[in-house]
Amino acid sequence: MRRFAVRLLNLFRRRPAERELAREVDSHLGLLEEEFGRRGLTPEEARFAALREYGSVEYAKDLHRDARGFPWLEQSLKDVRFGARSLLRTPGFTAIAVLTLALGIGANTALFSVVNAVLLRPLAYRDPDRLVTILHGGSDPVAPANFLDWRGQSRSFELMAAAEFWSPNLTGSYPPEHIRGHRMTRNLLSALGVQPLIGRAFLPGDDRGVVSNEVILSHGLWLRRFGADPGVLGRKIVLDGDPYTIVGVMPRDFAFSPFWAPRGELWAPLALGERALSRGGNSLRVFARLRRGVTIDEARSEMTAVTARLERQFPGSNRDVQITPLAKQVVGNVEAPLRILSGAVGFVLLIACANVSHMLLARTSSRQKEIAVRMALGAGRTRLVGQFLTENLLLATLGGTVGLLAAWWGVRALIALSPANLPRVETVRIDASVALFLAGITVITAMLFGLAPAMHVGVDRVAEALKEGGRGASDDGVRRGRLRAFLIASEFAMAFVLLTGAGLVLRSFIAIERIDPGFDPRSVLSMVVSVAGTSEAEPGRREGFYRELLAKAQALPGVRSVSAINHLPLAGDMWGLPFLIEGGPRPRPGELPSAVYRAVMPGYFETMRIPLVRGRGVGISDDKRSPGVVVINERAADLFWPGQDPIGRRVTFETAAGAAPTWLTIVGICRNARQLDWAATPYPEVYLALLQNHDYLERPQPHYAYITLVARTDGKPTALAEALKQTVWSMDRNLPISQILTLEEAVSRATAQPRFEMALFGAFAAVALVLAAAGVYGVVSYSVSRRTHEIGIRMSLGASARDVLWMVTRQGIAEAAFGITVGLAGALLLARLLSGMLYEVGPADPLTFALASLTLIGAALLAVWIPARRASAIEPVIALRSE
Amino acid sequence: MPSEDVGRMPVLQGTLDLIVLRTLSAMGPQHAYGIAARLQQISGDLLQLNQGTLYPALVRLEQQGRIKAVWGKTESNREAKFYSLTKLGEKALAAETERWRRMSGLVEKLLSGEA
Repeated sequence: MRRFAVRLLNLFRRRPAERELAREVDSHLGLLEEEFGRRGLTPEEARFAALREYGSVEYAKDLHRDARGFPWLEQSLKDVRFGARSLLRTPGFTAIAVLTLALGIGANTALFSVVNAVLLRPLAYRDPDRLVTILHGGSDPVAPANFLDWRGQSRSFELMAAAEFWSPNLTGSYPPEHIRGHRMTRNLLSALGVQPLIGRAFLPGDDRGVVSNEVILSHGLWLRRFGADPGVLGRKIVLDGDPYTIVGVMPRDFAFSPFWAPRGELWAPLALGERALSRGGNSLRVFARLRRGVTIDEARSEMTAVTARLERQFPGSNRDVQITPLAKQVVGNVEAPLRILSGAVGFVLLIACANVSHMLLARTSSRQKEIAVRMALGAGRTRLVGQFLTENLLLATLGGTVGLLAAWWGVRALIALSPANLPRVETVRIDASVALFLAGITVITAMLFGLAPAMHVGVDRVAEALKEGGRGASDDGVRRGRLRAFLIASEFAMAFVLLTGAGLVLRSFIAIERIDPGFDPRSVLSMVVSVAGTSEAEPGRREGFYRELLAKAQALPGVRSVSAINHLPLAGDMWGLPFLIEGGPRPRPGELPSAVYRAVMPGYFETMRIPLVRGRGVGISDDKRSPGVVVINERAADLFWPGQDPIGRRVTFETAAGAAPTWLTIVGICRNARQLDWAATPYPEVYLALLQNHDYLERPQPHYAYITLVARTDGKPTALAEALKQTVWSMDRNLPISQILTLEEAVSRATAQPRFEMALFGAFAAVALVLAAAGVYGVVSYSVSRRTHEIGIRMSLGASARDVLWMVTRQGIAEAAFGITVGLAGALLLARLLSGMLYEVGPADPLTFALASLTLIGAALLAVWIPARRASAIEPVIALRSE
Repeated sequence: MPSEDVGRMPVLQGTLDLIVLRTLSAMGPQHAYGIAARLQQISGDLLQLNQGTLYPALVRLEQQGRIKAVWGKTESNREAKFYSLTKLGEKALAAETERWRRMSGLVEKLLSGEA
C-alpha cells in the first residue's frame, strides 16, 4: 500500500528522480573505476572495465524506472504527451475537431440535463411508483361526494387524498400579496410520504369538518416573507381576512402540485363542510397511494366496480374515471416531444462524430509516412493503435470539456426558453448523473469517431508506404474512399431526417402563430385585483368599488379603454358550468349542456376588440336593476341553436330542480376567442354581466372576490402598469395585485411549447446542416489537394476546366444525394412520431420534404463548389511539378 | 558472454532483497557499489550479477521503508548514496530469514528424498 502511494507520487517527480538516479550511477561507476585503478589499470582501462562490470547503464536505469513508478501508466502518460504535442502541431485541425465535438457533446448534455430532471429523476416523494391520480377522463377534477365515496368504498389504496386550488390574499403586512396554494385533505402529505422541514403536518381529522385555520408554508415563501425565521411556527398570519396559524414549513425540494396548479406556496386543510354531499362543483384532484402489492390494474378494476355502482345510484356523476400513475400524469404531454428531441440531438452528435472521423481519416492518410517510419523502427501495431486511441480520447476529452461549458450555457438557454408547463423545470441542473452522462458520451464519442481511422492505421506494407512518398498505397486509398463515401452519405441521411423534422415543426408553428386569437392582443395590459378579505369585499361595497376603479383607470393618461373579466383568456382560470335552456326538455343529470363561464364588466368586447357578430355586448346599463343578459360565442350558437336565432332566447345557470332560476336573455353573439389551449377548437362560451352577478358581487369566497383588469393603451402597455397599480392602491392600500402581464405575453406563453420544440429542432437541424456541409467540403477539398497531380495530368491530356469541375462536383454530390435518399425512410418515420406534435401539417407534407432535400442539395453544392473551383483553376504545369 | 560464465548462476528470483538486507545488516551503511562488491566477494564470483541490476531491489526496499538512503562521502572523498537498514528493515530481515530457512530446509528435505 505504502509502496503504491510512493510509486503514484513518483509519477509527478520524474525529473528530480531522474537526476538523482544519474548521480547515483555516476558515483557507482566512479567507485568501480577507483577499484580498477587500485588494481593497476590505467585510467582509461579502468573506465572501460568499470562499464563492463556495471553492465548496460540504460538498462539499469530502465529497471530503476520500472521499479520506481508504474510502467504502463508512464507509457500512457507518454502517449498523452505525445498526443497533445501532435494535436498542438495542427492547431487548425484540433480547434475544428474540438469545436465540432463540443457542439455535439454540449447539446446532448444540455438536453440530457433537462430530460434527466423532467423525465428520469424520480418524483421527490416517497415510493413515487405507488402514487396515482384518480380523475375524470384522466385530467378533470372530481366532486367532493364522489371522492369521499371512493375513499370509503375502495380497498386498493393505502391512502386516498385530494387537493383543490386555493389562492388567498396575504394581508396585514406590506405588500399585500395574492398567493397560490392548495387546500388539501389532512392525509395528503402522508400519502405523498413527505414531512415538513420544521413544524408538523396537519393532524388527522375529518375532512368534512369545519375550517381549521392552520397553514403550512413552502420553503420559498418562508424565505421570501419570513426571512427563514424558525420562530414562525405558531405565528398568526391574515389570509383573506381570517387569522391562520403557521404550523409547518416544507423542505426546499418539495413541490406541489406536480402537474396542475403547480408552484403552490401555501397549504391549508380542506374543510368540505356542506360540500361533502355535492356531486357537482368538481374541484378536487384526487391523489392516492397504492397498497403495497396491489397492481395498478387491480386498482383499476376495483375502481371500475365502485364507480359503476355509484353511477347507477347517481347517474352522470361517475363517468370515465381513470387511474393514472402520478409520474405519467406529470410528464404528460412533454414526454413524447422530449424523447423525440433527444433522438434529434443524438443525431447531431453522430453527425459531429462522422465529421471528426473523416477529418481523422485524412490526417492518418497524411501521416502514413510517419507511421511507416515508426513501424520500420519497430513500433508494434498495438502500440500505434493504442497511441491513436489515446490521441482520440484526448480529442474527445477536450471536446467534452468545452462541451461542458456549452452545456452550462445551453441549460440556461433551455430553461429560459422552456414553456411554463414543462414540469419540474426548476430542478434542471448539471448534477452527478449529468456529469456521468457527459463522461459516458465523451468516451463513446471517442470510440465512434476513432474506430474507422484506427482500423486503417495498420499499413501492412511498410516499404510501399515509404516509397509512395507519403501518399498511401492505392488500394488502401480505395478502401478509405469507400469509408469516406459512407460517412458522407450517413451524415446527409441524418441531416435530412433532422431537416424534415424541423421543417414540419416550423410549418406547424407558423400555422399556430397564424391562429386568430379572436381578440387583438396588442397594447393590452392585464392585472388581477383581489378584494378577498378586505373591506371592499363586503357585499354592499364591491359593485361601487369596481365601478369607481374602472372609471379612475379610464381617466389615466394613455388609456384608450378599460374593462374587466373574471378569468382572462389564455392566462386565467377556466370554468365550465352546466346550464339549462328555457323551453327545452330537461336533460338527465350529467347531460346538461355546459359552457365556459365568463363574467365581464361593461366595455369588455370593445377593449379586447372581440368582434360582435350580432346583437350587442355587455353595457353600462346591464346592472342589478335591469333584466339579466348574456353574450354567447359563435360556437355556442352553432352547437345549441343550430339553424336558429339565439338572440332573445333565455338560459339559466341555476340548474337545481325545483329552484326558481334567474333567466338570462341572450343579447349578442361574439366571435370565438381562444380560451386556455391555444390550438384547440374553442368551447361554447358565455359572457355574463358581472354587475348583475350575485356570486361576483356578494360572495366572500376568494374565487369570486377578484377581477382581472384589462386596459388597452396608446403606447407600450407595460408603461401603464405602475400608474394602474397606484390607482388601485390609492383606493385601498391592502388590495393585492398579481399576474401583471400583457396580452401579448399571455399569447406567447400559450404558444411556448411549440415555440420551444421549434427552436430546439431548428437549432439541431441548422447545426446538422452546417456540419454535413462542412463534412462534404472537407472531404472534397482534401481529395482535390491530393489529386492535384492527377488533375494536372488530366488537364494536360486535354480535360477542360469544366470536365474537372464536373468530376469533382459529382463526387461529393453523388454521396449527398444517396444519403438523402436513404434519409427519406428515416424522415418518414420521424414524421410519424411527430404527428402528435403537429398542427395543421400532415406528417408527409410534400412541401417540407421537397424544401428539406433542396436545402441539403444546395448546401452540398455550395460546399463542393469551392474546392471544385479550386481544382478547375489548377495550372497543369504547376500541378505536374507539385509533389 | 554466457559461454565464458559456466558455473556462474543468476540470482534466485526473490532472494535479492533478502541478500541486500542481510548485507546492509552485516556491513552497516553502504552504497550500491559496496553492496555489489560485497556480494561478489562472498559468493566467490559465483553469482552472476551486473551491478546495475541491484537498483530495482534498492528502489523497492526503499519504497517499502525497509532501507533508507542518504548522500555521503566515501573514504576516497567521492560522493555516494549510502543505504542503511531501518527498524522496519531489521524486522523484515528477521522474518524473511526465517522464511527462507524454512523454505530451503523444505527444499533440501525434498531433494534428499526424506519426505
